[in-house]
Order: sequence, then structure tokens, then C-alpha cells
Amino acid sequence: MPVIELSMSGLPKSGRVVGIDLGTTNSLVAFTGDNGPEVIRDESGNALVPSIVYYDDNEDRLLVGEEARDRLITEPRKAIYSVKRFMGKGSADVQEDLSVVPFQIAADSEQVIGFQMGDRVFTPPEISAFILRDLKRRASRFFGEEVTQAVITVPAYFNDAQRQATKDAGHLAGLEVLRIVNEPTAASLAYGIENRDEAIVAVYDFGGGTFDISILKLKDGIFEVLATNGDTHLGGDDIDNRLITLIIDELEQGPFKGAAREPVVFQAIRKLAIRAKHELSASDHTLLEIYSPGQPGGEYNREITRDEFAALISDIVERTLGPCKQALKDAGLNPEQIDEVVMVGGSTRIPLVRNKVRDLFKREPHIELNPDEVVALGAAIQADVLSGGRRDLLLLDVTPLSLGIETMGGVVAKIINRNSTIPASASEMFTTWVDNQTGIDVHVLQGEREMVADCRSLAKFTLKGIPPQPAGLPRIEVKFLIDANGILTVSARDHRTGQEHSIEVKPSYGLTDEQIEKMLLDSFEFAEEDLRKRQLVEARNEAETVMRAAEKALAEHATRLISEQERDGISRALDELRQAFGGEDYVLVREKIRALDDASHHLAEIIMDGAVLAALKDRKASEVAEG
Amino acid sequence: MSEAVVNKAQVSSARCSHCGAVLSGEHFCETCDRIQPVAEHTDFFAFIGLPRRLRLDETELEKTFYALSRQFHPDYFMAASEAERQASMERSSMLNDAYRTLRDRVARAEYLLSLEGYTEAEKKAPPDLLEEVFELNMQVEELKAAKKMADEDEIAEAVASLETALAGLRTKLAEIDERLFAQFEQWDSVLENNTASGEKRIVLDRMSELLSHRSYIRNLVRDITEVI
Repeated sequence: MPVIELSMSGLPKSGRVVGIDLGTTNSLVAFTGDNGPEVIRDESGNALVPSIVYYDDNEDRLLVGEEARDRLITEPRKAIYSVKRFMGKGSADVQEDLSVVPFQIAADSEQVIGFQMGDRVFTPPEISAFILRDLKRRASRFFGEEVTQAVITVPAYFNDAQRQATKDAGHLAGLEVLRIVNEPTAASLAYGIENRDEAIVAVYDFGGGTFDISILKLKDGIFEVLATNGDTHLGGDDIDNRLITLIIDELEQGPFKGAAREPVVFQAIRKLAIRAKHELSASDHTLLEIYSPGQPGGEYNREITRDEFAALISDIVERTLGPCKQALKDAGLNPEQIDEVVMVGGSTRIPLVRNKVRDLFKREPHIELNPDEVVALGAAIQADVLSGGRRDLLLLDVTPLSLGIETMGGVVAKIINRNSTIPASASEMFTTWVDNQTGIDVHVLQGEREMVADCRSLAKFTLKGIPPQPAGLPRIEVKFLIDANGILTVSARDHRTGQEHSIEVKPSYGLTDEQIEKMLLDSFEFAEEDLRKRQLVEARNEAETVMRAAEKALAEHATRLISEQERDGISRALDELRQAFGGEDYVLVREKIRALDDASHHLAEIIMDGAVLAALKDRKASEVAEG
Repeated sequence: MSEAVVNKAQVSSARCSHCGAVLSGEHFCETCDRIQPVAEHTDFFAFIGLPRRLRLDETELEKTFYALSRQFHPDYFMAASEAERQASMERSSMLNDAYRTLRDRVARAEYLLSLEGYTEAEKKAPPDLLEEVFELNMQVEELKAAKKMADEDEIAEAVASLETALAGLRTKLAEIDERLFAQFEQWDSVLENNTASGEKRIVLDRMSELLSHRSYIRNLVRDITEVI
């Protein structure tokens, strides 16, 4: 069978769906190939992209990942890290975090945080989008095709606003987010425990910024989440902060008094703390050392043992156990009924964490897979399911938080309980309180508590255009639907007329569609410089693919299928593209790609029609291209 | 059998939005195999393909749930038309809602009552418990007062007596559950034999009352547990 390029134009849009783990500390991208899921590495073999973004407003320079991390030490004011902790939050939610990071928060951050970076303000979805864009490029380079669709993972305990913010970030990065998947659930896919007939599995996911516990029932390829719980504000960052505080407190006693207020020193301490943490997972003691060459007697060093470290962080680790017990209770299970425990996330490398988990579940947890990569691998498997690659697996996930609406007296009436399998829906009937009332306000919340003040406001909306009638007569049915991403959509209709009602939902925390549109333009403008170089690289990559395809088609089919004249046309276009390829003008390269595409369009069609029409019907272009 | 009747009752002359064939009320169009939106007023029993019986095999129910999940889930409709994606979302959310309701015995009974026109009954104390409930409320108030005064002895005494009461209430709850589940058999045989509607009412009334007692006691237990 000859190899056929369906689209001779364009760095072809890839039909591939990649899986992305957008982590607090590191992010990575994976895909499912013939040999199963694998992470995509850079030239030097690194899978992890540090979730750090550096921006310099003078040079309008943007760096992501390793490069940004290097700058973090020298220019800490220009870098943002751990942005995931700020997703879907307002300034009031993050006071504690702000006390330990050197970020400047813009005014007007009540509903969406704005990071002030020089003269520009970036929101968490934008910062995340820069990271996603980097991963997208990495994947596109890897495939030689533009990757446009992704599955992105989030902590299972993320609320609606945090999920939506993640989806927005994907959109801003030029990705169609096919699904938001919960990290522990993704990890369970990657662990391949599905080989067992039936098993109850607990996934303990302790990452850089968040903690999740999910309990799943695995049966015949169905991964049914029974219960999930967690803390979106508990992770390796908190452990780092304990060590940082210890070091700073001790520095205050000596010649370095006051030095930690300098962001540069603070970042050096942070780096030291993180290294010590890592070392204490492998060895039972390590050295903390800081010295300043310019300062006489300016030296700090002390040894810290694993036991000391364990004592320092034991309450943090202890805090993960409460959600574990709650999840077990919600699933109606005892720890003894758990068949397997799976460890995910970098913080599960800490021996104390492993010990506590072993004690709670009374069994040895699985640590075979790299805890940094397992979530991305699972996301890639889910991506494969969504792109039609396999139908033997099915994830049935749940919503982590109850959904409710505000009723009289500030009480929350639950309409969808936590741990309900998603998609899940509920219908509520609303009516008017006074005669001729034409609008009804609805306040939607998430959380387990009774009172509005103790739950998380999700959105407010008004049912409008109700015809004037006596109080209590109108009957407006509002349908709340939590989709497979765990994101809420609301629709309403008049029960008597059957007419759909308009709803304007104002998210309590998050970006409006207009804001996102504006950001799309912004990021385009901003990336102009950067873009030109990038464009050339991309255009050349694309040109290579197209030229190769055209050459191949000419060699294999042209004499048989098309006229000499047409053949010459293609050859000419090919030559011109080759010439443009050597130059620096990406616009010209694109133009010539299009010209070649036009010239060879007819040939492509003939090849398509004749050869593989039947086989093609249900397959994606990229798969066809690979034959 | 009554299954077939229940299943098809809702559907009159709906047509497939894709090929226009008359629909038989199945999840998928019999002609073009496209997934169909859920007909209005479809109830959970009919949706899953079950008669309105109250005793059901939970293992079978799970099997059905998994099998239908594999047919409806949005994961498998990513490349389908907007209408099919919408229908898949509707069907899988309804399936999830139905499974959640029907797999739990109490929720199942409550749902049946709502289908049979019962509104959620007011939470009532069982008559034989009235006196005890009154006494318990007093004790709860005493405990609250003792806590305010930080009177350790009083607190310990009140807690101890409330704990004894709690144990009693839990036994009572188990008793009610047993009586409730005994009614399930009654209901199923009434349904099976197509008995006169008067008899049906009697069974439903009994269940409604038991459920109201049940939720009353549960609330009481919750309140007491909170105070302790």
C-alpha cells in the first residue's frame, strides 16, 4: 500500500490528542503510540518542564521551564512559579501563599489574581498558558505536525472555578481541551492494574501543591471512582516552606540577619531547602550550607537528619490522612478492603509519607512507576480513548464537591452530592415571590457546609424575561449539569410554555469570555518578536513535510495518474518551495507551501479516491498518513 | 409482563433526528443506530429497563450500569455530531442519576413514592417515641447548658445518658429499616398481581410513613452526635 499524505499542505494539523500533566512544580506532555503511552522528552532527554515562567518587560522577553528556573535565582522578581495554587482563586484566598512567594499582586485581583510583572499584568490562566504553549510546541516538534488537541489533568479536588481556569489556559495556548481529567484517576489508568478481574484501588497523590485521594473500583476495564477527597492547598511547597522557615529563623540569629528579605537570597534558600528535601529521601542526613564570600564570618551550615526533617513536617503529612479516611467512609469501605495502594506525585518519595500510607492501609504501596510521570501517561491513555483509539477502557469519575443553591436565610440546598458519578444532573423548579416579578436570582455554590458563607460561591445568574404573573405562578425549571470535566453548565426553561430561558452566568471567580478573547489577542501581540523566529522554524518544518510528501507522490504515482503538464506544475512549485526554504522569510515559505498544495491538490485527490476510500472512512488524517 | 408496557409507555410518535425513522423508545435509533435524546418524563426504572419493583439484584444492576455506560459515555462521542454528543451527555447523566438512586434501597423507595405522586413526607416522630424524643431534646439542652458553664461532671453525665439514648435510636432505625424492606416484598407482589389500586395505596402509605419516621430519627441522631 502506498503511503498517502491526505493534506499536502500545512504543517498538517495533527489528529493526535496529547495528554498533559500541568503540575504545580513540573509539567509534561505524553502521547499514546504503538508501544503504549510515553512521555515526550526534549533533546537532552528531559521529560519535565519546570512550571516556571519568566518575563522581562524591558526586553519583552518570555522564558518558560529550565531557562526560567535559572533566572529565578538571579532575577526572582521576574519569575512566577507554583501558579497552579492561584488558579481559580481571588486575592482573599491566597494571602497565606503570598506571604511565602515574592510575587507582586496587581490591584483588582479580587476575582482573578493578577501578577504584576513590570508594566504588565498576567493572570494565572495566562501564565499556565505559556507553560502549555511550551508543551504544545514540544509535542508539535516531536510529531512534525501541529498538535491542537489535548487532555489536561487537574487535582481531583479542584472546584469548578479551578477546572474552568485550567480549560481557559488551554484555550489561550491554542489547544482544544477535549477533557479535564483528574490526576489520581489518570494515574490509575497508567498503572495498568486493569489486568486484574476486580480490584479496589486507592490512589494517594501528593504533589507539589495539592493532595488527592481517590478510591476506585476496577472491573472489566471500567474504572469507577467510588469516592474522592483532598486538599488543593497541601503539597511539597508546604514542606519546602517548613525547611525555608527553619533556615531563615536560624539565619536571623547570625550575621545573615535580615538577608532573607532580599528576593535573591530567599530564592537561594528555597533552592537549598528543596535540594535538602530531595537528599533526605535517599540519605539519612544532609548538610545545609550558605556562605557569602564578601561577608567576614558570613557562613551558615548545619546538618539535618531525616528524623529531624520528619518531625518538622509530620503534621503536614498527617493532614493527608483525614481526607483518606473521609474518602474510605464515603466509599463505604474499611482500609482492609483496599486491594492496592498507588503512590503518585513527587512528595510520595519522602520516606515518612510512605510510612504513614503503609500504616493507614496496612499494605505496601506501589511505587514502581515514576511518580512524576505517571499522571501524564494516564492522560495520554485517556487521550487515546477520546480519539477513538481504544474502547476497552472507560473512566467513570465523580464530582469532588457537592453542588448547591442558596435558599432562604443563606442556607445551601444541595442538589448534586459529592462523589456523584459525572456527568450528573439535577433539575430545580423556581418561581416568583412577588406579583409581576420578571426575574429570579439564582446563586450556585460548591461545598459541604450548610451555610452560604461557608461554601465556595461558583456563580450567580438571573432568570430573565418571565412574563408578569401573580407570585408563585411561573414555573421555571433550571437544569444543572456537571459534565465529564466536572464543569457546570446551566440551562433553564419555562415549564408551562416549554420556552428556553436566557441565562447570563457571572462566574464568581474566573475570567469572562470577553476577557479571554482579549487575552488571546494580547498574547499574540506580545509574542510578535518571538513569533517571527518560531514561525520560520514552524514554516520550515511544515515545508519539509510537504516537500517530502510531494516528492513521494510524484515518484510513485505521477506518471500513472496525471498529465505531464500537471506534473511539471508540481515540480516547479516544489523547486520554488525549496528555494524559499533556504531563506528567512516565513511568509514566503508559507506562500510556496500553499502553491505546492494547490498544484498537487488534484493528484492527492486521485490517489485518495482510488486507493483507500473505504479504509479512510473512519480514520483520522494523521493515521492515514502513517499508513 | 409489565416491563414492556412501562418501557414503551412514554414514547408516542417521536422520530429520529438523524434519519427520521419512528423511534421505538430505545436508546438508539433502530434504523440508523444513532444515539437518541431522552424522551420527556422518562423515569429511572423505564430508562434502565426495569419494572417498578423494589427488590432488585444489585449485582445485576451494576452490570447493566456498566454495560449502558459503555454505550452512552461522552468519551465515545467526541467525533460525533453536536446532536449525538448532546444525546450522549443526556443519556449518561440520566444513567448515572438513575444508578445512584436505584442502587440504594432507601433512595429507591423514596423515588418510587415520588413517581406514585407522594411528595416528600414531613419528618414525623414515630408515636411510640414521642415521649422519648421530648426527653432527649431536654437532655440536649442540658448538655448545651453544661458546656456553656464548662461543668465537667454535668457534661460527662449528659453525654453518657445521650450515648445510651443514641444506641437505642440506632436499634430503632434498624427496626424501621427492616419493616421498610419487608414492605418491598408486599409492593412487588401487588405489582405482580396487578392488585386493585386500594391495596397499592395501603402499601405506599405504609412506606411513606416509615420513611418519614426514619428521616426524623436520623436527624435526631445527627443532632445528638453533633452536640456530643
